[in-house]
Amino acid sequence: MTTIHAPRPTALEVQTDNYLTHSRGFLSWALTLDHKRIGVMYMVGVLASFFVGGMFALLVRTELLTPGQTIPGVTADVYNQFFTLHGAIMVFLVIIPSIPAALGNFVLPIMLGAKDVAFPRLNLGSFYLWVFGACFTLVSLAMGGFDTGWTFYTPYSTTSPAGGVIPVLFGVFVLGFSSIFTGMNFIVTVHKLRPPGMTWFRMPLFLWAIYATAIIQVLATPVLAITLMLLVIERTINIGIFDPSMGGDPVLFQHFFWFYSHPAVYIMILPAMGIISDLISVHAHRHIFGYKFIALSSIAIAIFSFLVWGHHMFISGQSPLLNTLFSLISFSVAIPSAVKVFNWLTTLYKGNISLTTPMLYALSFLVLFTIGGLTGIHLATLNTDVHLHDTYFVVAHFHYVMMGSALIGMIGGLHHWWPKMTGKMYSEALGSTACVIIFIGFNVTFFTQFYLGSKGMPRRYYDYQPEFQVYHVISTLGSYFMASGFFLTAYCLISSLIGGRKAPANPWGGGSLEWQCDSPPPHDNFATQPSVGDCYDFRSLRWDEATQGYVIDPVLAAEAAKHPLH
Amino acid sequence: MLRVRPSLVSNLTRRNAKKRTVAVKTRTTVDPFANSASRQAAGVFGMSLFLMTLGVLFAATMLGYVVVRLNPDPQAPFFSSTSPALPHLMLVSTLTLLISSVTIHATVKAVRAGSMVVARSRAGITLGLAMVFLLLQGVSWFMLWQQKFFIGSSMYAWTFYVLTGLHALHVVGGLVPLTLVWRRVRWGRYQPKNPEGLLYCEMYWHFLGGVWLALYATLWLGSLTWR
Repeated sequence: MTTIHAPRPTALEVQTDNYLTHSRGFLSWALTLDHKRIGVMYMVGVLASFFVGGMFALLVRTELLTPGQTIPGVTADVYNQFFTLHGAIMVFLVIIPSIPAALGNFVLPIMLGAKDVAFPRLNLGSFYLWVFGACFTLVSLAMGGFDTGWTFYTPYSTTSPAGGVIPVLFGVFVLGFSSIFTGMNFIVTVHKLRPPGMTWFRMPLFLWAIYATAIIQVLATPVLAITLMLLVIERTINIGIFDPSMGGDPVLFQHFFWFYSHPAVYIMILPAMGIISDLISVHAHRHIFGYKFIALSSIAIAIFSFLVWGHHMFISGQSPLLNTLFSLISFSVAIPSAVKVFNWLTTLYKGNISLTTPMLYALSFLVLFTIGGLTGIHLATLNTDVHLHDTYFVVAHFHYVMMGSALIGMIGGLHHWWPKMTGKMYSEALGSTACVIIFIGFNVTFFTQFYLGSKGMPRRYYDYQPEFQVYHVISTLGSYFMASGFFLTAYCLISSLIGGRKAPANPWGGGSLEWQCDSPPPHDNFATQPSVGDCYDFRSLRWDEATQGYVIDPVLAAEAAKHPLH
Repeated sequence: MLRVRPSLVSNLTRRNAKKRTVAVKTRTTVDPFANSASRQAAGVFGMSLFLMTLGVLFAATMLGYVVVRLNPDPQAPFFSSTSPALPHLMLVSTLTLLISSVTIHATVKAVRAGSMVVARSRAGITLGLAMVFLLLQGVSWFMLWQQKFFIGSSMYAWTFYVLTGLHALHVVGGLVPLTLVWRRVRWGRYQPKNPEGLLYCEMYWHFLGGVWLALYATLWLGSLTWR
């Protein structure tokens, strides 16, 4: 018998049409309804905003190098604008949309094996609302900026002479609706577009996290929307519901604001926790430990998030009974958070850990989130909070959680899904070096601030006592070091687009559905309905030298099917 | 078919032709749903989430009203000495909105039954009633203005105008889809099995009615102790 050895094209060579090459031209992106392209556009916008917000952070840190004026021309008023812009840009334009809207948009439908989100047009609408919101922020800068702090507390925000307050309030209002529509879209997608066989408890944990986040987005954001509108009315006609001279209540603003903004910090952290669940399991090549506990703790955190807003207001004059209750409920948030951390640690235990860049980010997250979480206990305790309120201790705490956790999670996820999004592999050496630099720089910057805060350095101050200077200098140098890490990351990722190796379908050995389609995915994700199994069972995967990626081995798969894990 | 020699085809037209194919391609959308029934089910679910969002928005506003209404500060009382009572005309506008809720439901019922003539008249009545509601609210405002009840007069006035204004804005926002739906009903564009857009409009309209009842009750209870 004669056998003919003809070279057979591999799947990668045949499949040339992907979502990036499917259609060309500006309009094919601007009017696209493809969730992947919308996700990429969000990512570009979010990272650009991150650059701007980061520059303002560096300006703030530079100004604080010496007591009094450091940068020529930066007066106390300009400084107020710097930290306000840094906060508002980072919160509303970067962290809130970063994971759900950018990464979530890209990954969520593919993880579900769906062709798109439930409402693709609404999805594009959400993106343009984000763009409009960002434009209003720019308009606000052109009209004189705003110096109210990102929290827009009354009466600062109703009496501040800065000209850009109303445009930015309107901008944040619009951004809020962008967030609401994204949340709605994701809830409906998760409910209605799960493939047959994917029960709730077979979803990847990232989807649970996005789902819990979406619930908060839908239920909490409208409160911010109406609060900002009431503020706009009050600022426009100089009378309003937050004005005590007319029988209004300025503390009501704080209640309303934190009723949204406390859940909002869970909008920021929950998706990052979802990413970390996936990163740790995939890069440790071990089944996630305590799947149901991690999944349900996301829902628990979402529920708790609505009940703890008063812990931002312990010294606002609210009743001691309320303070006690809010303190108690705030402590209980530690339970679902710790459930997650312990489950992640147990997943790592005896895992076959690959120290890839995403894994390094996941490990950084574990350290930084633990520090951020534990220092939260000091702030939830009523008597220590009276001392620490409005000091650098608070600044350090929320940077550990917002930046050290939420943003590090986002950057980790970006590295994890980068090969899938772009079809290119980045340099592991550069990526992991950058991660280490960011980790060290971050701790030098913010751990110092715990010390500053506990010594009594108030937040948002332009000037300070000379004995604080050495810590401010250390913190500022740390921030420069950290910034260099982010620039290195940017170089690493951008250079991969030009000279990066072609990414295999499954470079890390992931088990969820997005690793079953090509990198980058085709326009409609899956030609046929993909098969759904346990996405954390990695036993059927084998490293393949030829494609430099993981492939499903039929022999191993058959073996694994004989002995199901659960 | 007209045949053109290849040499006559300039680069420009070739480029235009290329652009045209791209323009067509950009519109290729992927429908994530298997069939229209599952799409409508998702739409109804999405709409109810959106209404929940708006419900929270109105609930927060009413809660804010309750907080300032219960304000015990004698230096800055809720009512000024000249505050008028809520105009009785608002009872009529309430009734108008409730009837429009009934008529839009009748529209959906008629479309589902396939009787497009009935649907057309019901949709028209709904649109008319919505406008009458806005008109009556406007007249109520005008009557209060004439009694020198301005937004800055007292917190009572401020909350009254802001709360009723917020609701009126949502009715105005609802007029746009309602007009579109009315036109589509006139043209007979809805399938009896899944009248998607009409269904979402109906949900929104019932919501506006419900919110108005809650809001009106809040305002009325708040104004009770006055006079």
